[in-house]
Order: sequence, then structure tokens, then C-alpha cells
Amino acid sequence: MTGIIFDVQRGSYVNGPGIRTTVFFKGCNLKCTWCHNPESQDFEPQIMFYKSKCTSCGICRNFCESKESCIICGRCTRECLTGAKALCGKKYTADEIMEIIKKDIPYYKNSSGGVTFSGGECMLKIDFLTELLQKCKENNIHTAVDTAGYIPYSSFEQILPYTDLIIYDVKCMNSTVHKKYTSVQNTLILDNLKSLLLIDKEIWVRVPIISGINDSEEEINELKSFYEMYGYPQKTELLPYHSLGEHKYEAINKELTRFNTPSNDKMQKLMKLIK
Amino acid sequence: MNERISKLCALTLDGKMYVETIKPNFDRYDYFLPTEQMNVKRLCEYILCQKPVITENSLFTGLFRFDGSVVGDAFNRSGHKNTAIALKNFYLKKIGNLSTMEWQHATGDYSRVLKKGIKGIIEDIDASALMHYKPEELEFLKGLKDVANTIIKWAEKCSDKVLEFSKSVSDPTKKNNLEKLASSLLLVPRNAPSSLYEAILTMYICFSANPDSVGTLDRYLSPFYFNDIKNGTITRDEAKEYLQEFFLMLQSYTHISSPHFTRGGQSHFCIGGYLEDGIDGFNEFSVLIVESLMELPTYIPQLTFRWTSKTPKDVLWFMMDCERKDPNKRIAFTNDDMRIACYTKICGIPFEKAVSYTTVGCNEPAFLGSMAGSNSKGNLLHSIETLFHKNYGKIINCKSFDEFYGIYESILFDDLEKIFEYDNKYNKIRARDINYISSLFACDCIENAKSITQGGCNTAIASPTLMGIINVIDSLIVVKKYVFDEKLMSMKSLIDALHSNWQGYGMYRTVILNTTDFFGNDDNLSNYITSLFYDSLYKFINGKKNIFGYQWLVGDLAGYNEHYKWYGEDTLATPDGRYMGDMMKFGVGQNEGRDRNGLTALLNSVIVAHKNLIACGSTVTNVSLDKKLVEDDEQFSKLVDTFETYFRNGGVHFQLTYISKEDLIAAKENPDKYKHIRVRVSGFSDYFVNLNESIQNDIIMRTDK
Repeated sequence: MTGIIFDVQRGSYVNGPGIRTTVFFKGCNLKCTWCHNPESQDFEPQIMFYKSKCTSCGICRNFCESKESCIICGRCTRECLTGAKALCGKKYTADEIMEIIKKDIPYYKNSSGGVTFSGGECMLKIDFLTELLQKCKENNIHTAVDTAGYIPYSSFEQILPYTDLIIYDVKCMNSTVHKKYTSVQNTLILDNLKSLLLIDKEIWVRVPIISGINDSEEEINELKSFYEMYGYPQKTELLPYHSLGEHKYEAINKELTRFNTPSNDKMQKLMKLIK
Repeated sequence: MNERISKLCALTLDGKMYVETIKPNFDRYDYFLPTEQMNVKRLCEYILCQKPVITENSLFTGLFRFDGSVVGDAFNRSGHKNTAIALKNFYLKKIGNLSTMEWQHATGDYSRVLKKGIKGIIEDIDASALMHYKPEELEFLKGLKDVANTIIKWAEKCSDKVLEFSKSVSDPTKKNNLEKLASSLLLVPRNAPSSLYEAILTMYICFSANPDSVGTLDRYLSPFYFNDIKNGTITRDEAKEYLQEFFLMLQSYTHISSPHFTRGGQSHFCIGGYLEDGIDGFNEFSVLIVESLMELPTYIPQLTFRWTSKTPKDVLWFMMDCERKDPNKRIAFTNDDMRIACYTKICGIPFEKAVSYTTVGCNEPAFLGSMAGSNSKGNLLHSIETLFHKNYGKIINCKSFDEFYGIYESILFDDLEKIFEYDNKYNKIRARDINYISSLFACDCIENAKSITQGGCNTAIASPTLMGIINVIDSLIVVKKYVFDEKLMSMKSLIDALHSNWQGYGMYRTVILNTTDFFGNDDNLSNYITSLFYDSLYKFINGKKNIFGYQWLVGDLAGYNEHYKWYGEDTLATPDGRYMGDMMKFGVGQNEGRDRNGLTALLNSVIVAHKNLIACGSTVTNVSLDKKLVEDDEQFSKLVDTFETYFRNGGVHFQLTYISKEDLIAAKENPDKYKHIRVRVSGFSDYFVNLNESIQNDIIMRTDK
């Protein structure tokens, strides 16, 4: 089985406990307007073009194998002198990914770390993900799945036996706002979270905090009420919005919406509410 | 630090504690004496002519320095005429763009003087004289004895001076301190010290004899400390005060106008590591040493923490925590398991001796009371240049990489032969000098009746350091991948590209730079080439001995001098994409942005380089890290886990740099050289050079200076 992966980040200190390798799947069924990895949304490989680095030397055109319409062969990215062009996304087999993952087993063992499958939405490639998770467990590697949860619960049932930790992204408790900024309503997402909180599985909830969208105390209190009804996850992380992914929008010719970063004071207040 | 140390520290950093030298009026009739007799006579007269530095806040004194008018210590080699000849002709002066002489370290062994005092050392000299019969050996021993007696007299002179000075001091505490110092100088270093204070005073004076590394400080001084604590004769704070004054002396040894004043290096010492019985030697006193040093805003000394597989994680955490908080970056880390395995298995040194190593200078290993090898610098990329620019006829028709590598290896071995031969020759010139004062505190020079400079000391390992190892590995990767595996270019095209300095082959060069997994990426090809290359080094070096009869090792550090730049200036284009004249790389660590797979990948690659142990010479792995990693304890713990794993899996050394504002500015201006810098916000991270200008500016502005 194969999957399109846009990054494998080794020695990662985020995305779960300990030292981790994070595997980023390409393709997502949410279209969050604040997404810092907009290149993760499309399912197929794509050419990223950083205009500011381009010197218009024209060399890439000389090597183009399909000048009429791009077939994403990536040849132009190999020839680009300035790094203005880069190929995002590559097809891997599960064994190829495992070969990379296994290189850092000693680091996982010494730090209670492991592997996190993220994206994009990694659960949309559920069979590929399941194969990877099974292979990790065969190698006694701790596994985490980072998901936005907009998938049938049966998908969770498929991966849960091989998953140690679910990192669950909750974008917004208000369903209308959720729909406006992510393109989908949050009913399925919250239903799945509810089900997950009721079973014996380690859950970390992550909430991106975007000024003016979901940074109100009411929003966080609503999440807290949800926990009180269905159970608390082991950890909740509030992540302040940042603009570090802005340059990628231009690189994939996608329209950028700017948001404001919440202040440190604001973040601390919200953190106090949820703890 | 307390008020007394604060005042001494201010004086030290102001250059006011520097010991000036006084040149005696030597008797011209000395020239009628045999050379060695004259050298000893003048050395003794010189010492007794010096003036100790005493302030009203002093609790220690007795340091002296040499000015070149007599045969001084073995580290500075002042007055060593043959070394001067060697330095004049070969120091920083390349031979065939292949080898150049470098400075040589020498570290004292204080265990004997701390155990039996100079009086006991004199008894050992007398005993040795009974075992030797050659006139030159007996003359050498007589010289040692004269110098030993002179050091006792010097301490007595210091005592007189301190007592005299104390009469002008009215503050009762300060006066009392000075009187304690004066009376102690009559006891030590003549006799064995009986307290931590006397032990440090002994080392303070004897450091003059070999002003380089002070060795394994915690194991020398721990017994005194714990005994004093047990007897209730000292407090922890008093011990810290003594250590701090000792460290200030090490700082003040270097003149404030010297560029070395702010660099550290000469007085590098070690803490922790295996003891002779195999247990880990890090203890409460080691902690006190680190705390004492970290409180001082000084640059010298620097220390290396010797990690063992028995080191508890909280100890590594403590050391790395001190390191992250130290703005002057004085702590490095090395792996005892690897080093001891190398010294016992490859060098054949008994375990009990192997555990006594320390690191000196930048990071050269040396055994206590011995010399730190040779440290000549060899240009390893010369072998690649020879292959592609002179002997290309031999490789142009190679049918396989194995065939190509066989030809390369023979050229590599030719170069190594010359590098090691030159190394021996530099040492042979230096060995014509006879040193008396450092030999007194060297290991076994008394028993062997032979100067430290001539290999009289025990275990004079040598470690020429090699520039351009990573360039060689990267070049071999390119040849295998593009000429033999993917056949992107023929061998002839590659040779032509290098002969034209890549002119007309820019496309090839771009593809090579953009699509190669070079050293540091932990991929199969780069690891294979790294392993292959280090196995060749091992094959060549294993069993080869230096002129003193000890096994050679290799290292990769550059020290203070830019050999990698000078060698690069005269080296033609190489297959790794390097242009003619570009500087080459030193150390085995981050690869100027070519390592793109993260920290664990880099460290795994380094482990591959270190696996056959041959690189346990002057080896350095520098790692630059995102500053944010050390600001948060949770992330910092993962950093500690990372480097602990690296050591457990066979890394030899690391020292860390956290990205500064200056680095980020430089990265913005030269993105190709700083591709590895990652910035992190919350759960997101990216390479700094990938971000657009406004965000780069924002991050630069947010980064503390």
C-alpha cells in the first residue's frame, strides 16, 4: 500500500510525548482558513513556487517535460538554481516510511517517544495508516494519531487497537463559526470526541486559538462544559495562531486570509480556564 | 559569589591579576657551563627572581610565568630553542598544502605532589637516580631535583612576601587570611597537603610548571573536600570560594590583550568519567566545581563533562542545564564509554590508566602528566584533489564504484603516510629540547629519567587532526550516486567539470546540491560512504605508532586556526560541489545546511563516523540548535534525552550552540549556509530560510541578543 506524504520530520519535540518522528499525510477534508500547512490540503503532489527566490533564468522551462500542462514530474524543482521551486508530496510505501521511522527507535525508547501520524488528515488514508500503525506496534513503537476527527467513527475503531495516543484537534465549539472557517460543521467531530472520551484511551485535545474567531472565554468554557459532560482528556493544549505559514499560500497560488495572533496574556487567561 | 571573590573577579577581568615576569641578570660565566647545567641554573634563578601577585583579598598566591629567557614550561615552550625552530619553519606554514605543524598541549599530573609533596618527589628522584647510570639521565635527574628544591624555596619566598604585605592590611579578616596563606606556603608544596585549602594552594603554585589543563580536578580534590567536611573544618561555601579563586588564577594567566583571554582552551579540564574501579566518578564535589565556575563571569577555564553509561539522567540534565544557562559556553560533553574503549582496545592502554585521560585545549585528549599528541593539521581533501586533478587517468574508465574506491583509497593512504610522517618530524625537532620544570609533574619522567618533550612521560598518544573529512565523504557520495548508481554524468564529465571549476557544468552542480543526501542525513548511501571511509582510516592507522611508541588516533577539530580556510584556498574544485578556493569543513557535525533530516538524523550519521573508535582523537561535534529548545523545561528534557541516546549509541562528543540574533541575520543574508536553522512556534516549525522576509525580520526582532 502507498500514501502521499509531504514531510517526515525526525527528532520532533512536539506532536506528542518524548522524541518523535512525525509523518505528515497529504490531503485534508477540512479547509481551515488559518491553516499553517496549506500545502497539506490537496491530496496529490504539487509544485510550490517561491516567487521571491526566482531569478527568471528560465532553466526550469528547458527541462519541463510537459509544457502545456504540468504533470508534477518534479524535474523543474531538481534543476532550479535558487530553490524557488519545490515538489511537495511524494508517494511512499509503508515499508519505506517504516525504514525511516525505525532509524530513531533508540531515541523513542530513551524518551518515551514514538511516532505521530499527522497531516493533512491522516485518517482519510485509513488502510495505509492502519498498516503503518500495525508495523509500528510490531516494532514496539509508541504511536500517536493527530486528527481533526471529521471521519466516520468506524475509522477510529479500525486504528484504536494499534494507537496509544489520539491527538484531537478541536477548531471551534460553535458549529456555525466552524463551518464558516473550516468548510464543515463540527457535529461529527464532537460526536467522535465524545465517543473517544468515553473509552479507555489517552487523548490530547489541541485547540488553535485565533483572535476574533475562537478566543473568547465563552468558547473555552463551552469546551470545558463538554469535558464535564463526557470526560476530560489527559491533556489540552491551546496553540496560539501564528503567521509562519503565510509564505506557503503564495507558493501554491492560494488565497491567504490573515488573522491576528492572540496576546500572551490572553493565552494565559484561556489556559487557566481550561485547567 | 561572595564580596571577596567579586573583588578578585573584577581585578581579574580588568587584567590586574596578571603575573608580570622579571628577567634576572644572568651571570655571563654561565656560558662556560655545559648547556643543560646552564639551563637548570638559570631556570632556578629565574623562578626565585619572580614576584608573586598579592592583594588584600588574596587567599592564594604563588603563580609565576616564563618570559622566554630560560627553558620554561612544556606547554608554552618558551625558551625551548628547537621548538622555536620548528615553529618558525612549520607552524601555520603548510607543506605541500598537506600538513602544517600545530601547538602541542601538555598536562600535569598533580596526584604525586598532592600525595607526597615536593619533598616526596625529591625522594622519588633520588630513588630513580639509583636505578640509572647513564650520565645524561643522572644529569637530568639532578636538574629535576634542583628545580624541585627551587619550587620549595619559591613558596618560602612567597610566604615572606605575603607576611610582609599583611602588615599593611588593617582589616582583621583579610589580615588573618594573609597570615594563613603565609604559614601554609611554608608547609606546601614542600609537604603533602592535609586539607582542601592546602591542596588547592599546592596546585595553584605547581600550575606554573605546566600551565595547561588542570586535568581531572574532581578526582584530585574530592578526598580533601570530603575529609574536611567530615571533620567539620570547612563549609561548602568556603570550598567554593577556594575553587573560585583557583579558577580566577587560571583566567588571569592569560594577558587581557591576548585574543585567547576570552576564548578559553588552554586550561580545559574534566569532571566525571570512570574511576579506576569502573564506577562513575561524578560526585557532590563535581557539582560544587561546576557551580563555582558557573558563578564566575569568566572565559577560562572551560570544562568537559565525561559522561558514562552509568551517569544518571539527572546528572546529564544538570550539566546540560548549566551549559544552557552559561552565556560564555564553557561546557563540552564527551562519552567515556567510547573513549575508554578506544584507549584500551585500539591503543592497548590498561583500563586503570585509560580512565585518567582529560581533554585539553579545544578538545584534545591527553593522559595526565603527558603530552596531547602532536596535533598537526592534515588536509584530507588533498587526496580527492590529487585523484581528480592529477591522477584522473586512473579512474576515467572505472567500471564500478568499488574499483574507483580502491584507487582512491591508495591515494588516501599515500597522503596519510605523508601527514603522519610530517607529524613525526615535527615531534622529532621538538624532542631535541630538554624540559625540567614540566617533567617534574609529568607521569613517569622521573622514573624514566627522561624529559616530557622526549617522550619520558607515560602514554604520549598522538592525534593528527584532519581537515575536510566531510568534504571527502560528500565527494564520494556524489561519485557513487551520480556516476555509478544513477549515471547522471560520466566520470569524464565529472572530471571535466572539476577541471573547469564547474564552469559550463552549473546545471550538474545545481542538481547535485539540490538532490543529494549528503553527510548528516542518515540515509543509506551517506551512511555507507561514511562507514567505508572511516574503515579506511582505521585500516591505515590501526597499529601505527608515533615516535614515542604510542598508537596514533585521528581527530577533526580545527583549534583556533583557520587551517580549513587556508587549505581550501589552495585546493581545486571537488565533486561535492565545492568550487576551487572554497574553504573546507572541519569537525564532524552539521553540514552547512546539507543535513536536512533533523537532529536525530545528524546524530545518527555522526555515530556511524565514530563506530570504529579510530576518531577518538581530537574530535569535535558542534551542534547549533534553536534557542527555543532550551527555554522550556519540557522541550529541554527531550534535548537531554536526545543527547543521552546519542551517547548511548556511540557518539563521542558534542558541544552546543543556540542560535543567536547574529546567526539569524547571517542566515538571512547567506541562506545557503544556514539551511539547518529551524524556528518553532507552538506545534509548528519550519526552516528559517524558507520563511518570507517579513517573518524573518519579525523573528530576528523577537530573538534576544
